[in-house]
Amino acid sequence: MEKLYLIARIADTRVALRSRAINSVVTVGIPVEVPGAPPHVAGLFALRSRVFTLIDPHVVIGLPPVPFAAGQRVIVIDVADHGYALLADAIEDVCFIEAPETRVASKLLPGWARVADGMIEHRGASLLVLDPSHFITLPALKAA
Amino acid sequence: MVQLQFLGRTGTVIDDLLDDFLAETAENLADAGGALVAWEADPADRAQLDAIFRLVHTIKGSSGFLALPRVIALSHAAEDALDQVRRGNRPANAALVTGVLGIIDRLNIVCAALGKDGVEPAGDDGDVIAALAEQHSPSENGHEVAGVPLRRDDDLQAELQSWRSIRVPLPLLDSVMTGVTDIVLARNEFARMLRDSGASPTVISSFDRLSDSIAGMRQSVSQMRMQRIDKLFAPLPRIVRDLAQDMGKKIAFQTSGGEVELDREMMENIRDPLIHIVRNAIDHGIEAFEDRVAAGKDITATISVSARQSGNQIEIEIRDDGRGMAPDALVAKAITSRAITAAEARTLSAKDKLELVFRPGFSTAAKITEVSGRGVGMDIVKANVEKIGGVVELRNDEGRGLTILLRVPMTLTIISGLMVRAAGQYFAIPRGAVREILLENGDTVRIDRVGGGELATVRGEQYPLLRLENVLGREASDDDDVADRALVIVRPGQGQSYALSVAAIHDHEELVIKPAAPMIMATGLYAGTTLPDNGRPVLLLDVQGLVAAAAIDATETGRNHDQMAAAEAQANAARNAAQLLLFRDTNGWVRGVRLSVIERVEEVSASALFESAGRVQVQIGDEIFPVHTANLPEAEGSLKLLRLFDGQSVLCYPIAEVIDIVRLPDAVQPSAAPGLIAGVVLVSGEPVELIDPFWLMAQYAVLGVDAAPNHPLCRLADDHDGWGCNFLAPILRSAGYRVVSDMDVVEEAPDVLLCLTDDGASCAHVGDEIPVIRLRSAIAAAGSDDETIYRYDRQALLDALARRIGGGRP
Repeated sequence: MEKLYLIARIADTRVALRSRAINSVVTVGIPVEVPGAPPHVAGLFALRSRVFTLIDPHVVIGLPPVPFAAGQRVIVIDVADHGYALLADAIEDVCFIEAPETRVASKLLPGWARVADGMIEHRGASLLVLDPSHFITLPALKAA
Repeated sequence: MVQLQFLGRTGTVIDDLLDDFLAETAENLADAGGALVAWEADPADRAQLDAIFRLVHTIKGSSGFLALPRVIALSHAAEDALDQVRRGNRPANAALVTGVLGIIDRLNIVCAALGKDGVEPAGDDGDVIAALAEQHSPSENGHEVAGVPLRRDDDLQAELQSWRSIRVPLPLLDSVMTGVTDIVLARNEFARMLRDSGASPTVISSFDRLSDSIAGMRQSVSQMRMQRIDKLFAPLPRIVRDLAQDMGKKIAFQTSGGEVELDREMMENIRDPLIHIVRNAIDHGIEAFEDRVAAGKDITATISVSARQSGNQIEIEIRDDGRGMAPDALVAKAITSRAITAAEARTLSAKDKLELVFRPGFSTAAKITEVSGRGVGMDIVKANVEKIGGVVELRNDEGRGLTILLRVPMTLTIISGLMVRAAGQYFAIPRGAVREILLENGDTVRIDRVGGGELATVRGEQYPLLRLENVLGREASDDDDVADRALVIVRPGQGQSYALSVAAIHDHEELVIKPAAPMIMATGLYAGTTLPDNGRPVLLLDVQGLVAAAAIDATETGRNHDQMAAAEAQANAARNAAQLLLFRDTNGWVRGVRLSVIERVEEVSASALFESAGRVQVQIGDEIFPVHTANLPEAEGSLKLLRLFDGQSVLCYPIAEVIDIVRLPDAVQPSAAPGLIAGVVLVSGEPVELIDPFWLMAQYAVLGVDAAPNHPLCRLADDHDGWGCNFLAPILRSAGYRVVSDMDVVEEAPDVLLCLTDDGASCAHVGDEIPVIRLRSAIAAAGSDDETIYRYDRQALLDALARRIGGGRP
């Protein structure tokens, strides 16, 4: 389980998400907007009679929000007993990666630097290792 | 609940019978206990007495069938006593009720053991039976508990229906709940598919039948976890009654909002804190009779417990009209018990001081009593409430009472919600907060734009108007028809209301509310999310939060003058209604005196009384007052004095004890000759002698200091630097003048004007009929015709005053 990663494209970047917090990957219809909510909240949707809060990782990284397309795939996670879903540009694979996580060697954009835990080598490419729960909170600077 | 302990045995026919008996008896006992307390408050309520008698009789009847000698003996004793009352052979009093309650408690114990072991435990019940029988002999009544209100009939009905219960683990309930909601969602999707596929009417009609039964099932499953908060309140009247009797206090206890539903788990968690708070209120909050009289309060204290649903939360308010908390006493206590240092204490805000009671091991009681104040107190209450995500709030009104507010979330809770539309999407409003729904362009509604804000006037009542789109920062949707716009009159809390304008009203639905993600809750606009039948999440609006977000003042105070004036007049009338203080005087007579002439009740030691000039006087603090008594008290110890005050002088009247405060009856039988007794009135059928304070005061009248309104009035004009007030006024006052400054608003025209400005010509007050004296600050006069007076020349000033107006002291 420790070594299981979800390889996805989030906010235009290929990343390896630690799978521990990940519940499932689903497609959702148009979410319900939440007026007045912080900008990274893309809306609400229901799944198996639970209400999930949809998070747009673009905003968390510091990019402009992307419009939601019906049928888009989302990564469902549980953080502190609340259900969230991350909008993903694409889901590639779930796989075991034996290679060790390494320290981030390059300089990252500030948004990525905040959420990235490390790097991992996978099939000849370096991927950022992320804990999906980092996307739930906006950096304090953004919120202000 | 007690009956749960009794159940759980299955097997033979006898076992089944026994289980039935136990479940039924548990229910009957619980009912009888509550009914007894209610009946005690109103012994004239024959129906209540009959109901209690029937309950006890039923227990006796069913136990006879099962051969349970102890149960028979106990229920027989209670039945017998109640029957005596029914026949009028025995008075209904507190002692009787205590006796019967004793029997009921014993029955509970016996039945609990019976449920566990299957056999009636051996034991002797002679004590409780004898205790009840003993009361038969006429004896002194204990303190009675006043006014425990009856529980409504439908409450009892609800309990009767719940007695056949089984225990189900909560997780199982949760999973059933989730399952049913999933079925609903699947049904919705299926319904869409059916519509799209153009299925035949027969298929659709049988699907509709399925759909209806799913809706019904969802409803019942939703109710499964919920319980009326009545269940939580049910044991309280009994606790209050017993405790009030033990402590010799009179308490009217009332509950309201019992229909509010709360998750069972939540209920378990607040049961103990609630009981603890009520006990605390009786023990520490409510003062002794004398203190209440001294504070001008009704002898009968009031404790009320009310529940209210507010969005996603339940508010339980426990209010008493006792002495409240003294923040400084709390601080002193905390310092002595080394909970905080003196330096820390200085930095505490008023709120922090109150919150000291939540410190572990803190007890507010000056002396530790048996009931509470053992150091396990409010900290445990707070911990328990916070464990379930709740909040404890204190609202202290020192000297007038304490209100403790428990706010607990309803996590999994069902409320009736009104669905509204705004900005092209749906929102829910808790139905409980909605007072009225109107069409915005209806005849009864007038909307005015006032200074950038909007105001809705509905049948003469004004409400601040909020447009939901604006509060949420959205544009009104073009699809919405203006003719559909509706006003929802929302009452978010006591004494608050506003009009919420929405694009359209949809319908109302039973909604399961769950908390939204923290960042959504943090907006303060929403109280949670819900999933209505269409499967699309809907946000529940926080009706209180909208007020804050829109930054409006939703309080009703001052909005409607007529009503306010009427309410005030009513309150004044109630306050002015003559009240009578009943007391027992030193000779044992029950007498009464108008409460309004009593300044307070003093308790002094007998040695404070002394005889001087043939009159008994008392020293209280630094003052000496006459006492209405012929002789000095012989006994040592303390005695109570009523302090009568006529606005000028004080007279003390020794009494044995304060009995009660009652409304002064209209009919007074006057006594033949003027004297100490003005007349006789009937209070609760007993004659009471009314003291005549007029006569009494006349006997001890002393020549008081004359307040002398006929002393001349000096007005200080142009006193810009305060010299007049600080330097001059004391001299004038000691010389016998009254002084007012420019700042004071006085109706009376002054007799003389003192102008303090150097520039005599500019004194703005010249020209009136009133004589003017000008003061100058230079020693030397400006010329021989200078009439001004040097301001430190005291004698010249006083002479001038005397010349102009006379008066003052020679």
